[in-house]
Amino acid sequence: MAGSLNKSSEVFVLSLFFYTRSLARQGLCSSRTQFSVFYRHAVPMGTSAQEEMNKFWAKNTRLNRPMSPHISIYRWSIPMAMSITHRGTGVALSGGISVFAVAALVLPGSFPHYLDLIHSLSFGPALITLSKFALSFPVAYHTFNGIRHLVWDAGKGLKIPEVYGSGYTVIALTLLTSLALTAL
Amino acid sequence: MAALVRIGSVCRGPAVPSLLFRSAPLIRPLAARKKDQDYPYFCTAKIHATPSNYAAAGSKAASLHWTGERIVSIALLGLGPVAYFYPGPVMDYSLAAVLTLHGHWGLGQVVTDYVHGDAKIKLANTGLFLLSAVTFAGLCYFNYHDVGICKAVALLWSK
Repeated sequence: MAGSLNKSSEVFVLSLFFYTRSLARQGLCSSRTQFSVFYRHAVPMGTSAQEEMNKFWAKNTRLNRPMSPHISIYRWSIPMAMSITHRGTGVALSGGISVFAVAALVLPGSFPHYLDLIHSLSFGPALITLSKFALSFPVAYHTFNGIRHLVWDAGKGLKIPEVYGSGYTVIALTLLTSLALTAL
Repeated sequence: MAALVRIGSVCRGPAVPSLLFRSAPLIRPLAARKKDQDYPYFCTAKIHATPSNYAAAGSKAASLHWTGERIVSIALLGLGPVAYFYPGPVMDYSLAAVLTLHGHWGLGQVVTDYVHGDAKIKLANTGLFLLSAVTFAGLCYFNYHDVGICKAVALLWSK
């Protein structure tokens, strides 16, 4: 038997041996068994996740570590692009509402007054249509993708083909809805 | 660990290269046997125990915040069509409130994702709070002194 043992079977025998030892050891330490993973000793951490995250970032800043390339090298996918677009439209819409609110507080005239002012500038129909589309598109996209997010939050549609399928549906609905709103 | 040595002694034939016993997986368990006594962390995952193992149980604040975000999102979804069919001051103020809250919480997530460091986080969140407060104030002012959100959208689209 001695001469015929090769490396892989030896490793197997050893890992089996180790495994049974850890099982036996778990039987002795009854307080550890609740973790139900095959580690010899599982010890609860004394720090919170927030503290650990801060330590991680503080260390990176202190050592002046450069960030690994990520978005500059990773291949873009439809779900990835849709996700950042969802964030982008959200930030843009929120910003737009805030600008509108500040303008309402700061500017002296009323809304119809300023509307008439813009109207008197006689922008071409193309520009008006373009502006309407530019407003409708983010609203429609963020709304439909938002519904998609809520479906995910309910735990549905998380398989990759479903993610792509729902993604294409959102894009199609967005285009149709923004065109419809522009035409209104 | 005695079994390890035994296998080793059994395998001391010419067919088995002696390099086997210098490879790391074989050496390390042997070395750790003594260390085990001092540091019970070998082969340990740093597992975060559930809050019940801590003296202070975890709070549900984050979980409730998440649920609140989803409820506000669904509310905003519902408000859209209702505002179209029943414009008026009730809709105006409801839209102002729900829009601002949804935007505030959404931008809050963006801050959490990209801003790091205790001081910077605090600064960003304070700035965000001010922005949202001013936004809500501005929208309410608009609703009160001007035509209101629903009418404004209708007017804008009629041009």
